Amino acid sequence: MKKIILSIFLPALLFILVISSCKKEENVEPDPTLGLTKQAEGYAVGAATKVVVYTKEALVYTGYNKFYIALYDSVTGKRVDEAHIHLMPMMNMGAMQHSAPYDNPISENAANHLFPCSVVFIMPSMGGGSWTVNLNVHNHVSDKEGELTIPFTVVDPAKSKMKSFTAAHDGGKYFISLIEPSAPKVGINDMEIAIYKRATMMSFPADSSLLVTLTPEMPTMGHGSPNNVNPAHTGNGHYKGKVNFTMTGLWKLNLDYMAGTAVADTTTQFFEVQF
Amino acid sequence: MKKWLSFLLCTSVCFNTLAQKNISITTDSLHIIELNELTVSGIIKTPQQHLVNFFKSNNAATLEDILSRLPEISILRRGAYGMEPSIRYYSDGQINVLLDGMQIHGACTDKMDPATIYIEPINLQNLQVQTGNSGFANGSAIGGTVNMKMIEPQFDCHNKITGAFNSGYQTAAKSVYESVRLNYALGNWAFAVSGTYRNSKNYKSGGGEIIPFSQYKKVNYSISAKFQYNKSTYFKADFLADDGWNIGYPALPMDVGYATAKIASLSMHNENFRKRLYKWQAKIYANSIEHFMDDTKRPFVPMHMDMPGFSKTVGAFADGELKLNAKQKLLFRADGASTFLTASMTMYQAGQPNMYMLTWPDNRKNKYGFSASWLLQPDSTMQIKLSGRTDMVLSNLTTSEAKNQISILTSTFNGRADFLKNISAQISKKIGQKIKLTSSIGYVQRMPTATEMFGFYLFNSSDGFDYLGNPSIKPEKALLVEASVIYNVKKCRIQWSGYYNRVTNFIAGKIEPSLSTMTIGANGVKSFSNIPFTSIAGAEFSVYIKPQNAADIVSTVKYTWAKDNNNNPLPFVAPLKNITSVKYQLKKISVQVETEAALKQSKISKQYGEDATPGYFLIHTRFGYITTIYKKEVELQIGAENVLDKKYHEHLDWGNLARPGRNFYIQLKIAF
Ligand SMILES: [Cu+2]
Repeated sequence: MKKIILSIFLPALLFILVISSCKKEENVEPDPTLGLTKQAEGYAVGAATKVVVYTKEALVYTGYNKFYIALYDSVTGKRVDEAHIHLMPMMNMGAMQHSAPYDNPISENAANHLFPCSVVFIMPSMGGGSWTVNLNVHNHVSDKEGELTIPFTVVDPAKSKMKSFTAAHDGGKYFISLIEPSAPKVGINDMEIAIYKRATMMSFPADSSLLVTLTPEMPTMGHGSPNNVNPAHTGNGHYKGKVNFTMTGLWKLNLDYMAGTAVADTTTQFFEVQF
Repeated sequence: MKKWLSFLLCTSVCFNTLAQKNISITTDSLHIIELNELTVSGIIKTPQQHLVNFFKSNNAATLEDILSRLPEISILRRGAYGMEPSIRYYSDGQINVLLDGMQIHGACTDKMDPATIYIEPINLQNLQVQTGNSGFANGSAIGGTVNMKMIEPQFDCHNKITGAFNSGYQTAAKSVYESVRLNYALGNWAFAVSGTYRNSKNYKSGGGEIIPFSQYKKVNYSISAKFQYNKSTYFKADFLADDGWNIGYPALPMDVGYATAKIASLSMHNENFRKRLYKWQAKIYANSIEHFMDDTKRPFVPMHMDMPGFSKTVGAFADGELKLNAKQKLLFRADGASTFLTASMTMYQAGQPNMYMLTWPDNRKNKYGFSASWLLQPDSTMQIKLSGRTDMVLSNLTTSEAKNQISILTSTFNGRADFLKNISAQISKKIGQKIKLTSSIGYVQRMPTATEMFGFYLFNSSDGFDYLGNPSIKPEKALLVEASVIYNVKKCRIQWSGYYNRVTNFIAGKIEPSLSTMTIGANGVKSFSNIPFTSIAGAEFSVYIKPQNAADIVSTVKYTWAKDNNNNPLPFVAPLKNITSVKYQLKKISVQVETEAALKQSKISKQYGEDATPGYFLIHTRFGYITTIYKKEVELQIGAENVLDKKYHEHLDWGNLARPGRNFYIQLKIAF
């Protein structure tokens, strides 16, 4: 009896093992940059590291841009998944310079071989002004540190993704960028904005002090939508909520800002979303 | 209480013979039916038989014209076409409207296409109206059932084409009506085909004002085949199609460019009175409705839109009657149906992307039900009937697009299952030879409609609100009490029925002040919600007198009273209404005078933006002449409706839309 069981089950077990191992071999790891656009590459001098910058969108736009940075050992070509990356965007307008808000990669460890980070370009590249982002890379594998400066051409998107206002309550200049919804649909959508306050021309720290009220509106028909959730601060200047679209078309996301009980923005800023 | 109003429509000699059979059933009804007679169970009401005569005097009448003459039925009207029947206040999802027992769900979010539009009177064999306590046998409902029974192919005239041709013209809407019905039998097979064409222009209301967007055009055709397998068994296949186009709905902001219905069924019927299971039938069916609604012809529209809707149902049922012993029998039915619905709206604005949303997010309802009635006749004067039905209803959204959209209203909806229960008890007692008393009590439930669960910003032009569905709305429940008295002497028959219903979890729109309207110019947004209870009561009274053989007088009165839990009147309650017909038949000539009168309705629902409706009094006259030319029966009818050319509307008419004014008609029928 035992033999019969063995003679039936062992080959079956082997067969399953073979099949599953075959499958594993077929399962080649997908390219982590699939669907992303390569914007720039270069070498961080001193760190012996090749740097490649990817974005989700084809172009770099005024407003919030998510960057995905891949690092490679410039000698072996192997991926570097442990590193410290520090960003410094800079607008050079000849007579003057200013920086922009940004988020460094949160972790020293790459997520799926990439280091996500972001830059909020607060104006487009123009005749007299050009954007660069300086990347300081500390390669933890080789423990070497180096720098690289990449020029970017920033263009305005069809629908503005960044707004700013001078606050009524503290006179500060606030920059608001729309992150989500990036793929709007009829139904519930994630709503995410990032708010940075200008401290100096070179420093735009994340802000967590504002209360945001969201009022979606369909301007051609003059109606709104029910059951929206106001964006609330979740960390690093990011505010998350929910926005509901009841139909396709052009929508306005009206946003009002309060600092405690004081009105921060006396106008109503809005983002347009069309799908 | 079970009521069968049997309406017999005869379009040919062949069908006349059929009709006679049915009349023999109805004349039987004055005494309680002996169980061993094995005819239609329950009590059959005959005064309405007169309305048959009324109907027969106008062959161009629509089904709505007939329905509106029944004391239990009122008509919700949004234009000259697609009027919606209501039984004692209840309509839409509160009642079943069935075609030969089949469920047909309209494809219009604005209820423009009740199933009654698909049956042309030339195809109608009879109309069965059952109120609350016995109206749930074919499907859980609180308001009852209208079942339209189609004419079957006949074997009476063998190997010969028989049939009838109708042609008519009416002046109020300059409307043309043509119809033909043919029957042919050969061996064990019988076939019938029918076709109807209607073309109606904008009608004139009383005083001569033309009502724009009240026109319609339609064709309706059907084909049936019947195969007699043996003495007690036959098979039947039916196909019916209806195409309507350029249909205006003057009380609504939208019209219909094109609407089509295809309805098909296969059935098996068995009748053998020597067997215990002496009668049964089984049927499978499918129907598909397409409805293209738009406002492109309306002037001054802020934004043009298209609102197409689609409905598909497949179903099956079996019912039968079982003789338990000489005094008891059992009626049963098992059925299942699956209905898919979807409707959307696309709005157009120059220079803007199209705006699109689902108004009925794609949804499917699967319903499985079983019902049974037990009849007991302890002695020849008494009958007891106990009925019950259960329904298992599974409702869900079928696409992620639909789910995403409904997530705006309810963050999680993963379908719902409802288990509905209906029970009733009825007792009838004959006192002497002249009086019969019947009373009944029941507890019934009904499923919320797709609109009530998933409707998305559906504009109701009656109260001017956008309506949002509520996926977790509870089924309506009702306690029904009914009583009736029939007094019958040789030349006079009087019937009175009274009822009281208490509906709990009544579904009504609740104003949502925080929500913004979608429809430009709407008054606000309402969402469907359950209100604690409503009370609905009423009475119907009818009298039938035959003072001499050639004359008939029939008169009906109905009254309904309906209030919610805060003692506010409910909307769409018909006022006291009377219809009286006097008909005199003199050999080949008939003369009929009919009056129609309604009192003012001032018990109105302010919440629904209703206003009071004035009373009215109308006179209709009809003349008929029947003769035989070349062995063909030829019938000519002329008449005038609303002779006084009164400008009026009924309280149930949307938008205070005036009804047709003086209307002359001429009608020719040739039977062969
Ligand atoms: Cu419609």
